[in-house]
Amino acid sequence: MDSLGFLLSGFETALTWQNLVFCLVGVTVGMLVGVLPGLGPSAGTAVLIPLTFALEPISAIVMLSGIYYGAMYGGTITSVLINTPGEASSVITCLDGHPMAKQGRAGTALGISAIGSFIGGTFSILGLVLVGPPLANMALKFGPPEFFALMLLGMTMVIGLIGKSIIKGMMAAVFGLILALVGLDPVTGIPRFAFGQPYLMDGFDFVVIAMGLFGLSEILISAEQNLKAEKPPKVKGLLPSREEWMPSLKSIGRGTGLGFLIGLIPGTNSVIPPILSYSLEKKIAKDPSRFGKGAIEGVAGPETANNSFCGGALIPLFTLGIPSSPTIAILLGAFIMHGLTPGPTLFKENPDFVWGVIASMFIGNLILLIMNLPMAGLWAKVTMIPFKLLFPIILMVLIAGTYTINNSLWDVGAMLVFGLIGYIFKKVDIPIAPIVLTFVLGALMENSLMQSLTIFEGDFFALFKRPLSGTLLVLSIVILLLSLIAGFRKKKDFLASDIDM
Amino acid sequence: MKNLNIWVGVFTLAFAGFVFWQALSFEYYSNIGPGPGLFPIWLSGMLIVLSLFFIVNAFKSDKIYFSDVFPKGKQRSKIIRILASIVLFILISPYAGFTIAGIVVLFILFFGEMKWYKAIGTSVITTLIIFLVFKSFLGVPLPVNAFGW
Repeated sequence: MDSLGFLLSGFETALTWQNLVFCLVGVTVGMLVGVLPGLGPSAGTAVLIPLTFALEPISAIVMLSGIYYGAMYGGTITSVLINTPGEASSVITCLDGHPMAKQGRAGTALGISAIGSFIGGTFSILGLVLVGPPLANMALKFGPPEFFALMLLGMTMVIGLIGKSIIKGMMAAVFGLILALVGLDPVTGIPRFAFGQPYLMDGFDFVVIAMGLFGLSEILISAEQNLKAEKPPKVKGLLPSREEWMPSLKSIGRGTGLGFLIGLIPGTNSVIPPILSYSLEKKIAKDPSRFGKGAIEGVAGPETANNSFCGGALIPLFTLGIPSSPTIAILLGAFIMHGLTPGPTLFKENPDFVWGVIASMFIGNLILLIMNLPMAGLWAKVTMIPFKLLFPIILMVLIAGTYTINNSLWDVGAMLVFGLIGYIFKKVDIPIAPIVLTFVLGALMENSLMQSLTIFEGDFFALFKRPLSGTLLVLSIVILLLSLIAGFRKKKDFLASDIDM
Repeated sequence: MKNLNIWVGVFTLAFAGFVFWQALSFEYYSNIGPGPGLFPIWLSGMLIVLSLFFIVNAFKSDKIYFSDVFPKGKQRSKIIRILASIVLFILISPYAGFTIAGIVVLFILFFGEMKWYKAIGTSVITTLIIFLVFKSFLGVPLPVNAFGW
């Protein structure tokens, strides 16, 4: 069967009423996470993982990925209406979306974002359908050295792109890898850093770490910020005027391509494509001075790009088992929790699962389009919920969820400690994202390195002699050097904030 | 010693040093291949070097003062209240069960934000919904008291 046949049977799985409900729940929660400032998609996904324990793996992943791409739609609404991005990837939308709202064109800004997001989201998933299987086939030929090099490349990209300093990024990455060492050694089975404690024997649970570092630390940071609810303006008239259609659609087309391509690069995050798309639109516009004053292209392009990024970013996860961004890392954790191994064998061994999830994303994007076009005004009202009422409830779900992982209060305590670490690290600008990314990859990375060293009889530099692994390793070194230089020149300010997507 | 960065640097250095010391007790390389000590030694060694750089930077240029980054007054007490309520949950839930522990925690967090009777009502309803969703709908167990709730 070719991809299309698989996809059709995927729709069969996705269209069962049960999976439809979970898809709907997922994208609705995603919208909420996007609309509510103070809770990002990584935290939202992490907090809800325990709710999926009793579900079938496919329903669980359908729901969790719904949160992931749903948040991209939701974030737009607050950016446009109250000039506060609901999540980091919609920051750029404030620039032109909010001026449009001030001119009474909030509906148009939201409408074109929803259309762009739908087109971007759908095309990038189509890209996943087309590129995924052949890439997975290719990756089947990879040996341990190639995988080690690939993971190292992903890591250096994250360090290079996120955070204010390379040293802090590297500290975070190494810290995550060290946390992954706790428990039984994957090669010999000897317990390491367990100190005879049964809790530590199995290592730290991924969900505990993600809940603490993303969930609790985000609640703490938001709690001290005094987020105020603002009354959003009225939303009316969702479609752009006739002469705006052509330029908008062109921006959407460019945003789709750009977002998808960036998604393929490991270590990127969903904040980068909108920024690049915005500067691209401004550069090729006939009259760049309109930007910042309510140019529709400045909304259409970036909003499309971040949704298109989502589909692209799933490709490295599905085909190589390597997460390219923190939210994807949490999805990877959920895969493992449900007994699935993401990577080249996934398409071969669990075709029902992969294609069911992919098909559900088409459906989810359609649901989101409906939710956003006629119902945009309703979502605007959600922004009125004050954070001080919301965070205790989120905290309670967080506590209950952490407990259910192993039915242990020890996990709740560990979550508290990681929450504190995350909170303090955020204060000193040590990025959180690399910790979680490398923690997920830790065991895989050690395994592939140990296997490589066994193959090469202990000669580390033999890794450079294989064409693919050598190229990837050299590329990693180049990226690290370049970002060191950029760091010295303080040129990466526009990507500097700790982005959790 | 008001520079938070120095404290964080010293903490990571101590952590890395401890891991390094522990890792030395594992075999680094055996006759069949790399041992369980190889990866930890390299990682903790890297973290030691990075922490030293971090501390040097903290003394030289990258100063982050406690008073600049941590909130004061009402905000600070809110943070402390959140952390304390989680500790309280860990301490009392094995005896009181999820429902009572949950209501207490939520009441602590809602208190002051709304009238006390509204705070009690909201805490009870929220806890019950979470309890029912987890226990009945999702079928995952929560800590319970002697009565089973």
